Amino acid sequence: MQWIASGFLFVRGTTAYHRLDPRVRLAISLSIFSISLVSQSIIFLSAMIAITVGIVVFAKIVRRFAKSMVFTAIISLIAFGLNYYFAPASPHQAVVFGIRLFAVISSTSLFFMTTTPDELEQVMKWLHLPPDFIMIFVIAIRFVPVLMLDALQIMDAQRARGLEFDKGNFIKRLRNMIPVIIPLIAVALNRSLDLAEAMDSRAYGATKRPTSLYKLSLAKRDYFTLAILVAGLGIGIYLTLFVSIF
Amino acid sequence: MQALKKVDDLTNVVVSFDAVDFSHPNGTVALRDVSLKIERSELVAILGTNGAGKSTLVRHINGLLKPTHGKVAVFGQDTRSATSAQLSRQVGIVFQNPNNQLFAQSVRKEIEFGLRNFGLPDNVIEDRIKWALDTFSLGDYAERSPIELSGGEKKRLCIALVLAWDPSVLILDEPTVGQDSEQKEKLADIIRELISERKNVILVTHDVEFIWPLQPRSVLMANGSIIADGPAQQVLARPDIAEKSSVFVPQLVDFSIIHGWSSPFPPTPEAAERKLRGV
Repeated sequence: MQWIASGFLFVRGTTAYHRLDPRVRLAISLSIFSISLVSQSIIFLSAMIAITVGIVVFAKIVRRFAKSMVFTAIISLIAFGLNYYFAPASPHQAVVFGIRLFAVISSTSLFFMTTTPDELEQVMKWLHLPPDFIMIFVIAIRFVPVLMLDALQIMDAQRARGLEFDKGNFIKRLRNMIPVIIPLIAVALNRSLDLAEAMDSRAYGATKRPTSLYKLSLAKRDYFTLAILVAGLGIGIYLTLFVSIF
Repeated sequence: MQALKKVDDLTNVVVSFDAVDFSHPNGTVALRDVSLKIERSELVAILGTNGAGKSTLVRHINGLLKPTHGKVAVFGQDTRSATSAQLSRQVGIVFQNPNNQLFAQSVRKEIEFGLRNFGLPDNVIEDRIKWALDTFSLGDYAERSPIELSGGEKKRLCIALVLAWDPSVLILDEPTVGQDSEQKEKLADIIRELISERKNVILVTHDVEFIWPLQPRSVLMANGSIIADGPAQQVLARPDIAEKSSVFVPQLVDFSIIHGWSSPFPPTPEAAERKLRGV
């Protein structure tokens, strides 16, 4: 559970990548995401993963990223296996599907792991999304670590009542999760009600478009990164369309 | 499940911490060189500021956390060589937030859960459920969902469901939060009864007014270390020591100092009144 959630957890960092404007980081992740979604080339898809990993090293989030990608790798292998054995696709298509899934999830994870909920909120405001939608989305993201902490505390509490999570067969282990899931849902619902009341009592919704304390502005490094991104995209399109090995 | 052997019966030591350090995976140091021995039928209160390491300390006793350095032993057994489930048979923890523990369809089933995990026979389970419901005035709610109970009732249920399996050591993490004065009094009575049955009770609390009448051995913590350990009369009644771990001196001590009385200070208002009247 921690593995899955940690892929969407922000890690506060001070690297040059973290200092980029969140819109630029979104553009980078979206570019990798879009190319991975349309490309049929194993080499091209592998290159997308290599670029993502390169950025991860640059942003110094290798350990957390690797941990969260274990689950993604398993899912990608399952996707490859299902396509290979059950779908009428060729082996090449099955490999493409598996790598594509990994590339798409890893690029999304890269964005969420390097972007604070506040930055995310600003990007969504800049995109003129409805304020209520922004609030719901940002709160959901912000609550992931809180719920993870709740889940760990609940597991501790049930262990202290003699429950052994790692004993028994698969079905028994699944059943052992019931004493964790039910309190977790109850705690999450209570917290959301408390939060809704607290927000109401702080005049949430009093204005249609609340103002922001900070405004997004592009710096030199952002223009430089965008230039590299556009150049990279151009080279990618050229290689896809005109060079046969891709 | 195999119960823990009480191999330390001869030495009378129930829990021992030997130069224990503990760091969280993110590198935060939570315990530094903690050494502590708790003997049979001792009542111990652990006090300190938020983040002092109180909850981390007690989580080592039933093996939920294992020391980074040093050794924690319960009834002589190194907690590294036992699972939480094995240790919990002897060490019951009531956690601060009752919502983290309750999940069953009814109060009765909630109490039953732990008893089943420990593999107790059916007739014993029935007896223990009845005892828990009666002792904690939960009989009327036996078939109700625990989630529907009030905060105070949930807290009572959490204490009841742990005491139901009769652990030798009971750890209560902030037991008085959300409890009215009547329930606090009842809890104090249960603690006295457990001590008289030669059990151990460890209280993690900020509520000095609750523990002062119980006169526990008081362990003050700050920044992951124990800064004072001794009888309540010596530790809690010393403003200079209490201040270091942001603990307030009990009102009866302040009252006594105003009246020029010296230690031992009266543990209850009744004792103070008697002293005031010169009885």
